[in-house]
Amino acid sequence: MLAKDQREFISQHMKRNKLRVFMTILAAAMGCAFLIILASVGFGLHKTIQDEVLSNRIVTEIELAGKEGADERVTPEEVDAIRKMEHVKTVVERVMVPGSATVKLGEKEGYGELVYTDLAAEQLANLALDSGKMPASSEEVIVGYQFANSFLTEEQYKEIEAADDYLAKETELAQAIRDKLVGQTITVDVVDYETNEVRATQTYTISGIAKKPGRDWYYDQKIYADTSKSSEVLAAFDIEAPDRSITVHATDFQYVEDLTNSLKDQGFYVYSVTEELGEMNMLFTAIQIGLVIVGTVAVLIASIGIFNTMTMAVTERTREIGIMKAIGAPPSLIQRLFLLESTLIGLIGTVIAVAVSYALSFVVNIVVPIIVFGSINEEAPTDMTITVSYIPWQLVLIAAVISVGVAVLSGWRPARKATSIDVIQALKEF
Amino acid sequence: MILISELNHTFKIGKKGQEKDIPVLRNVNLDVAKGEIVAILGKSGSGKSTLLNLLAGFMTPESGSIQVNGEELVGKTETEKANFRLQNYGFIFQSFQLMPGLTAFENIELPLKLQGVGKQQRMIRVKELLQQVGLTDVSDHYPNELSGGQQQRVSIARALIGRPSILLADEPTGSLDSETEQEILQLIQLLNHHYGITFVIITHDEEVARTAHRQYRMHDGAIQEEMHYVS
Repeated sequence: MLAKDQREFISQHMKRNKLRVFMTILAAAMGCAFLIILASVGFGLHKTIQDEVLSNRIVTEIELAGKEGADERVTPEEVDAIRKMEHVKTVVERVMVPGSATVKLGEKEGYGELVYTDLAAEQLANLALDSGKMPASSEEVIVGYQFANSFLTEEQYKEIEAADDYLAKETELAQAIRDKLVGQTITVDVVDYETNEVRATQTYTISGIAKKPGRDWYYDQKIYADTSKSSEVLAAFDIEAPDRSITVHATDFQYVEDLTNSLKDQGFYVYSVTEELGEMNMLFTAIQIGLVIVGTVAVLIASIGIFNTMTMAVTERTREIGIMKAIGAPPSLIQRLFLLESTLIGLIGTVIAVAVSYALSFVVNIVVPIIVFGSINEEAPTDMTITVSYIPWQLVLIAAVISVGVAVLSGWRPARKATSIDVIQALKEF
Repeated sequence: MILISELNHTFKIGKKGQEKDIPVLRNVNLDVAKGEIVAILGKSGSGKSTLLNLLAGFMTPESGSIQVNGEELVGKTETEKANFRLQNYGFIFQSFQLMPGLTAFENIELPLKLQGVGKQQRMIRVKELLQQVGLTDVSDHYPNELSGGQQQRVSIARALIGRPSILLADEPTGSLDSETEQEILQLIQLLNHHYGITFVIITHDEEVARTAHRQYRMHDGAIQEEMHYVS
């Protein structure tokens, strides 16, 4: 029998039992949709948390804390070797000073976090400017976006406290200071944490202001000075080998995991966002598998409907099966026709389920955050997207395979029963 | 064409473990030549329907041999027997055995579909046959919209569409009135004469049996040739 004729034969039979076939498809679709929606909540929450983690970090960054060995320090030669590794964009080394910085800007006094670094490498890694330009000499520095905030006077703070929207007021007043920062000279006193003594004083000209950090709550009050300027401060503290913060920047996020593993293999103590994601992904994969299993139970319940429909179909068509066998239909064809019918029921059910699931997922992602934030009397943060339900193509594929697979299995026994119908008995019945 | 030798068959009746063997065919020998009409007469329970079922491959005999067109039927698998039926046999049943959900046209077309014949070719052949059996006007009617005679004509057309060499007929006029019976018998003779199709007809009706070239009578599972009408 030609494939086209087989399809026609099945559709003729399905049309004859429209209501029953429709109800079976409905049950199959509901089971499959339940599976997809349930699992999509797992995927949705995973996505929300993953996005949060990724947005809080520079995702291409790998922190290098040290290396296995006696003093656990990373040598400059090793840094150079890392710089030459494949997919490494740059390596940023910052020299740490055991003191805080008190800053004088004209008459005003403020503070900052002094960072001695390779500014060219910083720029290559992530440092972008809001205004001004990169330093042309070691006498110039870049300051963080909120560096200006430390120069707000007490009067100004009172004004901020009195304002309705104090955050907006602070931003407005700090902006006025920030606008005049570029080109100004600052005097930095490096104060010993322990004794509170001023150990060194340095003077710099501000050449540029770093871009505003992505997160509102993060205040960048750094003073990015050239590494060469650190020697005088280190000498004042009697430090020969200072602590350094080393970060390796990959060319793309996709290489971070491989680079992290490669550095680990070389004995470096490393940490990257993939470490955090790895554990989180494992937990969510377990949750997703659990949800898929629970959802599969719904599909299995729906399969009872398919089994019943197909068994009824075989019983009803005993005579027709007998006639077909008598005139020469082989058992394999009879079995195929019934299996195709149950597969088609599963397939149509799956297609409907996928469409319904996407629509439901869309609605849920709009409605649920409104209800959640409404119930706790808070406005949804503008910079946070909550994905309650997320349907990746892999989930659709898994649900389709389970749903159609269960439909085929449900039709298997009735189809086998059809092939074993005795021609003589079938023809005698009528 | 058909050579049946030493065919024996027994039915088992009763509960499992306490079954009783009832012999239904005893050493049946039958030889049917190409283009012959052979009638097998017998009372109810004589074994004539069992013989036809064995010849059709619906059952497997206990012992003996059934050779059709030089091929041994005994020992074939269900799939092989189904293919054999599709290529060699046409069936005419007493209760017509038409598919209720298919029109006259679609019923006749069914064996061609099973043979994998394309739609274009099927249309030509079915239309031609509908014309020959005089059913062109009712081709789109369902079986329950046809008279007994028309249903049997559809059944005969379905049996012929695959161009079989042998037609097995089980009480072909059993459900028809005498006038329609005559029409069907004339059609059988015409087809035999025109296409040289071999007919094996199972009947209890002497009138029907007289259409045959040769008659066999069955009694208690044994067969014996009675009359030879045509030389």
